[in-house]
Amino acid sequence: MKFFQSLTRIDRRLIYLILTVLVILPFFLKFHLPQNIMPQTKRLYDFIDGLVPQENKAALVSIDYTPQTMPECHPMAISILTHCFKKRIPIIGISFDPQAPGLAIEAFNTVVIRLNACATTKNDSIIYGRDYIYLGWKSGRIAALMEMGEKISNVFPRDYYNNNTDSLPLMQRIKNYRDISIAIILAAADYPQEWLMYAQARYGLKLGTGLTAVMAPKYYPFLQTGQLSGMMSGMKGAAEYENLLLKSGHTTETGKAETGMNSQTLVHLLIIMLIIIGNIGYFFLQQKKEH
Amino acid sequence: MTGLFFWLKYGVWLYIIFSLSIENFIAQDRPNDGGSCIYLSWQGIEDTLIEGYVILRRTISDTTFKKIGFSGRLATNYEDNSVRDRERYIYLIAAQKQDSLYYHTMSNIVQSSPQFFHKGRLNILIGIIIFFLFLIVFMSQAKKGAKLFIRKIAGLDAVEEAVGRATEMGKPILYVPGLGDIDYPSTIASMNILGELAKKVAVYENPLIVVNCYSVVYTVAREVVKQAFISQGKIDKFNDDYIRYLTESQFGYAAAINGIILRERPATNFFIGPFFAESLLMAETGNQVGAVQIAGTDQVLQLPFFVTACDYTLLGEEVYAASAYLTKEPVLVASLKAQDAGKFLVLIILVLLTILSFLNINFVSILKAQ
Amino acid sequence: MKRILPLALCLIIGILMVCQFFIPHPVSTQFNSIINKWVVVLSAFALVLGIGNLTNHHAMTIKRRKPDWQYSLVTLLSMFLMAIIGLFFGIDEKSLYQKIYLNILTPLGATMFALLAYYMTSAAYRAFRARSLEAGLLLGAAFVVMIGFMPIGQFIHPQFPNFAEWLMRIPNMASQRGILLGVAFGSVATALKIILGIERSWLGGRE
Repeated sequence: MKFFQSLTRIDRRLIYLILTVLVILPFFLKFHLPQNIMPQTKRLYDFIDGLVPQENKAALVSIDYTPQTMPECHPMAISILTHCFKKRIPIIGISFDPQAPGLAIEAFNTVVIRLNACATTKNDSIIYGRDYIYLGWKSGRIAALMEMGEKISNVFPRDYYNNNTDSLPLMQRIKNYRDISIAIILAAADYPQEWLMYAQARYGLKLGTGLTAVMAPKYYPFLQTGQLSGMMSGMKGAAEYENLLLKSGHTTETGKAETGMNSQTLVHLLIIMLIIIGNIGYFFLQQKKEH
Repeated sequence: MTGLFFWLKYGVWLYIIFSLSIENFIAQDRPNDGGSCIYLSWQGIEDTLIEGYVILRRTISDTTFKKIGFSGRLATNYEDNSVRDRERYIYLIAAQKQDSLYYHTMSNIVQSSPQFFHKGRLNILIGIIIFFLFLIVFMSQAKKGAKLFIRKIAGLDAVEEAVGRATEMGKPILYVPGLGDIDYPSTIASMNILGELAKKVAVYENPLIVVNCYSVVYTVAREVVKQAFISQGKIDKFNDDYIRYLTESQFGYAAAINGIILRERPATNFFIGPFFAESLLMAETGNQVGAVQIAGTDQVLQLPFFVTACDYTLLGEEVYAASAYLTKEPVLVASLKAQDAGKFLVLIILVLLTILSFLNINFVSILKAQ
Repeated sequence: MKRILPLALCLIIGILMVCQFFIPHPVSTQFNSIINKWVVVLSAFALVLGIGNLTNHHAMTIKRRKPDWQYSLVTLLSMFLMAIIGLFFGIDEKSLYQKIYLNILTPLGATMFALLAYYMTSAAYRAFRARSLEAGLLLGAAFVVMIGFMPIGQFIHPQFPNFAEWLMRIPNMASQRGILLGVAFGSVATALKIILGIERSWLGGRE
């Protein structure tokens, strides 16, 4: 009887301690849990993988997440930038959230430093101005989205480092949405909605997105209609993309999203076990009371 | 002859190019607005090589067109917000292909003006009028003495018991009106419940702690509680310190409430109003100190957290029913009945429209509001 | 008079604001803009009252050396220090104010947010007991969704993740919409009751 009672009354401090250990463990003990790849993540991956540098088009990456949602969205940014750079697809980075530029610069710097460490020639290296540019933050999202359809440098006359946008080598051949193969929006708020309404509906621009897990279900209908070419949903989506990059040989190890997912999976398993234990104790106590 | 043939051929091509235009190019005053806007619409051209459409404009008195905007190749409309009311304009649209313009098409003469009634919201006005009529009918029934039935709401029945528990234990009651400003309807509903609770607190002379996120809500809560004490003739028992302003920061607010719960150990916690991600933080801390907890919110995503952590939960509209339920005033109960009648009417309309849509008769647009 | 004036003001402004919603004319939108500006001004005055209350409460706690008075001292010092730094040294991107906000307040907020993981675990353990049919259904749904959204869900059955997603997208969404419909009516009814003076709790109830 006491045993079953104790099953229903596990001290919460013990639960918190086990939880802490399970969250921290994957950061020290790297292990790989099999990931099922959701179709929307695969679609985004396949689209980017199918791009060819000979088309002379760039990918537009809109980094719009905040420090609060970094755990979910930052690994997505790292994965997308890595994939594009590995495929030698030039990237134009922009932001519409005022808190995002710092994170965007960090994402670019992380990926560029890592890839340049393995480069042997100037052609292999990732060079600012030639292979990527970051145009910084702009307010007035809707007006900016519409104007970029005509000319991107009208909206961002200077880049984040105060260079004249039109003077950058990449911008000699990238004028507007017609020269963009895909725009990928990484956001924790409702920004993709406006991209769909203005850039996709009016200019036919291909869109992909990476969103927090809470926001993602809202955009499933757009995946079905083909208005979105793919989507990463939460930390799980980011982990799936990392796995796809690993499988294809673009990277040699997975990133922080998979570590985070491992922690999440262990915590979910703990919750399930605790619920089962609590119910077993409750069930047997009820049986004893009835007798 | 060769020269003639050349000019004929060139002329035919010119004729073909200039006779091709963008179809159905219409300019009209944008409906249901405050003026200063012209709405342009056209039929798109099936040509993947065009980059987009250039929009040009001139007034009646001008001679040249000036470019005012650009729209994507898939666009079929454009809003010009830079016009003056009562000024007459003509528009010109052209398709842009590699820095050249083709298919120039002129519009009709148009002028913008403000409207006095938003026709797109007529369905909302009709809905409000119908609801108002329900209100009048049920209120007149209540005034005639008709007994109007409300089902049991466990969370509201428990208020009296919760206050009694706090009195017996000699511990304070904590009231959290949520993280919304006074413009949230559920904050207003929360103030109604606070008023009724404060009357009971005044009678039993319990210490009360009301913690507020916004300063306007703080001032309203202060007045509500003070008036409640006055109505019970216990104004001398009212303490300014009962009502506290904390912070507008979401997690700062939650942290402050957790601190209050752990230090002051209230016997009863009320979480009624709009809550967001911090709901479980407060509810679980209250559970840890063994307080009886009654929660209510209209934020559906937070309801599961309150259901698991609190003893009683008011789901959505039950928060709005609280005032009528606690006071049992016939007029307020009548308003509840009007609410229910309105919901029933909406249910009938939804079922009807669903059945009609199976028969390919689509009236869903009548429910759309602009 | 003490009750008639607020009730009359509430009625007139309430009706005007309802009418404003249906009138797109610039005069109407200007009226709305003026009212919104007044709300901002009133909020600023109310903020003074709120800060006064906060300062008074914590000052009394410190003065009377009530238990845990040290936390009140920290509260008052932090509040006045941030206000002085913001007022005299600016709040632009590279200011000390922003540095404190980004390096102290934001991580503290993230820490509180992270506590949710612990509280969810203990709440789930305590609350998810199959005490009744409804509680059992809740428990079953929680299991299906948790396992379905985990990577291993697919290995239990290939359709498990799809079923979990269907559960979130259809029954869950349907019940949310039902509650939202009720909330919408409740909001309209509450607003109308206050505008028309039927609901008077905010004035201290009916006489």
